[in-house]
Amino acid sequence: MFKRRFFLGTAGALGAAASVSKVAMAALPEPVLQAKPDTMPPLEPPNGRPYRPVLTLNGWTLPWRMNQGVKEFHLVAEPVVREMAPGFKAHLWGYNGQSPGPTIEVVEGDRVRIFVTNKLGELTSIHWHGQRLPNGMDGVTGLNQPGIPPGKTFVYEFVARRPGTFMYHPHADEMVQMAMGMMGFWVTHPKGKHPLIDEVDRDICFLLNAYDIDPGSATPKIMTMTDFNLWSWNSRIFPGIDPLVVGFKDKVRIRIGNLTMTNHPIHLHGHEFQVTGTDGGPTPKSTRRYDITEDVPVGAMRQLEFLADEEGDWAFHCHKSHHTMNAMGHDVPTLIGVDHTGVASKIRKLIPDYMVMGERGMKDMTEMDMPLPENTAPMMAGQGPFGAVGMGGMFSVVKVRKGQKKGDYSDPGWYQHPPGTVAYEFKGSLPEPTRAKDPGVGSMPRVQQPKTDVEVTVRKPGASGHSHH
Amino acid sequence: MHRAEARPGMRRLRLPLALLSAAVLAGCASVEPGSALGQVQALTKTHTGQTVAIDRSPEDLARTSRQVEELLGQPLSMDGAVQIALLNNRGLQARLQQLGISEAEVQQASRLPNPGFSFGRMKKGDEIELERGLHLNLARLLTLPLLSRLEERRLQSVQRELAMDVLSLAADTRKAWVQAVAAEESLRYMRQVQDAAEASAELARRLQQAGNFNALMRLREQGFYADAALGLARAEQAQRAARERLTRLLGLWGEQLNFRLPERLPDLPQAPKDQPDIERQAIAQRLDVQAARLAAEQTAKNLQLTRVTRFISVFELGLVHNTSNEGPRQTGWELGLELPLFDWGSARTAKAEGIYMQALHQAAAVAINARSEVREAYGNYRASYDIARHHRDEIVPLKKRISEEQLLRYNGMLIGVFELLADARSQIASVNASIEALRDFWLAQADLDMALIGRASLSAPTAAAAPAAEAAGGH
Repeated sequence: MFKRRFFLGTAGALGAAASVSKVAMAALPEPVLQAKPDTMPPLEPPNGRPYRPVLTLNGWTLPWRMNQGVKEFHLVAEPVVREMAPGFKAHLWGYNGQSPGPTIEVVEGDRVRIFVTNKLGELTSIHWHGQRLPNGMDGVTGLNQPGIPPGKTFVYEFVARRPGTFMYHPHADEMVQMAMGMMGFWVTHPKGKHPLIDEVDRDICFLLNAYDIDPGSATPKIMTMTDFNLWSWNSRIFPGIDPLVVGFKDKVRIRIGNLTMTNHPIHLHGHEFQVTGTDGGPTPKSTRRYDITEDVPVGAMRQLEFLADEEGDWAFHCHKSHHTMNAMGHDVPTLIGVDHTGVASKIRKLIPDYMVMGERGMKDMTEMDMPLPENTAPMMAGQGPFGAVGMGGMFSVVKVRKGQKKGDYSDPGWYQHPPGTVAYEFKGSLPEPTRAKDPGVGSMPRVQQPKTDVEVTVRKPGASGHSHH
Repeated sequence: MHRAEARPGMRRLRLPLALLSAAVLAGCASVEPGSALGQVQALTKTHTGQTVAIDRSPEDLARTSRQVEELLGQPLSMDGAVQIALLNNRGLQARLQQLGISEAEVQQASRLPNPGFSFGRMKKGDEIELERGLHLNLARLLTLPLLSRLEERRLQSVQRELAMDVLSLAADTRKAWVQAVAAEESLRYMRQVQDAAEASAELARRLQQAGNFNALMRLREQGFYADAALGLARAEQAQRAARERLTRLLGLWGEQLNFRLPERLPDLPQAPKDQPDIERQAIAQRLDVQAARLAAEQTAKNLQLTRVTRFISVFELGLVHNTSNEGPRQTGWELGLELPLFDWGSARTAKAEGIYMQALHQAAAVAINARSEVREAYGNYRASYDIARHHRDEIVPLKKRISEEQLLRYNGMLIGVFELLADARSQIASVNASIEALRDFWLAQADLDMALIGRASLSAPTAAAAPAAEAAGGH
């Protein structure tokens, strides 16, 4: 569970409320800080209207103080150290000790009062992405409110009018503050039964974020526009992203918010889902389509629902293959198919620790344990039951298990496959395979024939320099 | 000397003659052959650590060549090179023979002048006059002690010059040795650079063959290889030239040319020698300053000489023995005298004074130059120590750590192998620069040692070579 930070200062919490005066804090709810990057169990509401709480992947839900019918939350915007993967820590900005900030859960019609304390060095504010509220609470610095100066606490107060999934993020020096990891989820549960919002057994949410952290350093580069190198879910990268554990035949809802600078086609193995909501609200049932990959645009939220009726460990990831890798070099030449005999030994005379890599592809990287710059996540990692998985970035696993108890999100281990259901090696003799010979002539010939036949080698798009990811 | 029969006329001359010869013999300085070398040896032994020898006979030559063979048996150290140069350099041996020549001149100067004999036969009608005369250059006799002292002083200046020659040869040999060793070390590193560039170029060629590289990228890598090969060629040229210069100073030829040099220059000393009173030391020690001082003294002595002989330029004492068939023998003596009616000798004195002032100014110039040279050499020495230490302690370890970090990034597939090799090239270039800085330190050390004992040929400090251009790499 979360840790309360007492004024006596118990261990664990980072960057506490000590610098803000006690007198000023007397009217505020105590800020609750989180020290661990693990997935915290859902927060059952102790008071107020009941609801089925969500699980925040590698995150937590912010507890509130009920004050005469108003739910009071306290967010502290501050620099944090977030472990993005085991062995790799990043210096980010976040809320209440972690990046992203805690999920705020309320019920439709609740009055909320949010105290926002600014412990950064510059102005900040919070915009409640997608919510209907008085204009002055919208949080755009300069337009709707003066920015929150460093050291001060501002109050946002409004009624959560619309049920749905929302996000919150700063609207002052937005590019920098979001590049540094300030963002959070907001869920407004419906009052009672809603025709378009089903009741589900497992409700999981996470945000997509992206950072540009030079290997060996820990702070993201804030001037990066599109050339990010770390793609994360709730500021965690594979193999640091916790699995989504669901029970067999559970109705599962996954809410995904995109605060990166590019779109992400999120893909689920083994099941089809329906897109049941956006930040505009739940979608009409007639418009719901089935899909297995949903492209989440920038600044948007998508809600996916499916019935988990296939047992096993199902991969769940962004289908942009460079988003499932951690930091890598972009100008590394392709060494596939290049014979290294003779050259490798020559190079080793000068650089004794040199090892040939990439000759047969990139997978060898995951098998070798080579020294890397400090505080760097390996490009491809992850040890699965059958060997190295060789993934990074936006990759996780949906684990569907029979007998997973309700509310139990703990990792059940690897799936035990029934015999005969695993792909196996064929040990007999192979016939000659049929091969396609001709790609065809095309619809019409070129006006100018080239002098010589050009043999083109294909490179992945965006592999050179400055194109978008 | 022609002994006349004891005739009455001659008896009068016997005593003066005896006295004269005694005086002359007393003024004769005896110079043993070979002792002049001792002075040279004494002057040079402390600075070179060995005794200089002159090869005059075939046994001497054989002994020298045996010693040289022995020294060439192991890799040649700096002191070994100096030893061989002092033994074997034929130019030095040629100049050392000057000692023998000068010694002989001193002996000659201390010998009595050759008497002159004249004979004449005149016929006047029936009278036949026979004239026999014995002449002796009296001026020469009287000035014999002065002249022989002059020659001695000349011998001393020859000794000092030769000592300077020996010490210059030793200093030049040390510098040539440093250059040769540094050139060989540099050559080894340039070979490594070329290997790195060759590996890159070969890999780029294979990449182009496989279709992974286009022509431009492959040509770029080949360009680096071509540059590296050029660097290697120049390094080979420099190494050969440096070795030949050393060979010339060592006087080696034929099979001796295969001498081995140590692999590395000697390490930097712990700390540079702090010598605040170096100028005073130099003035006291330097041979050229001493020589200039002595030259001024000698010129002064010459001046006195000129004053003394001011009125007598040619002073001939001759014995005359005239016979005539008609009259009695006429004997007597003749005195030739140049009467300075129109040349009081003042011009000669003025000339001598001029020569003396010249010598004085010369001595002052030598002293001033000596001090300045020593200051320059000392400044060079300290600066080159600091530079060499900076290279060794800061730049080379820094580049090494950069290379290590680059390897870690290569392991993480954040950079490619070409960036890695380009970085290796730049790291090797930094090691090369550090070798050159160390070489410059040892050259400055040799120059300083030479500047403390004689005129040094100081080399102007070389501007730093431009740092190796970093190949453009990925992020």
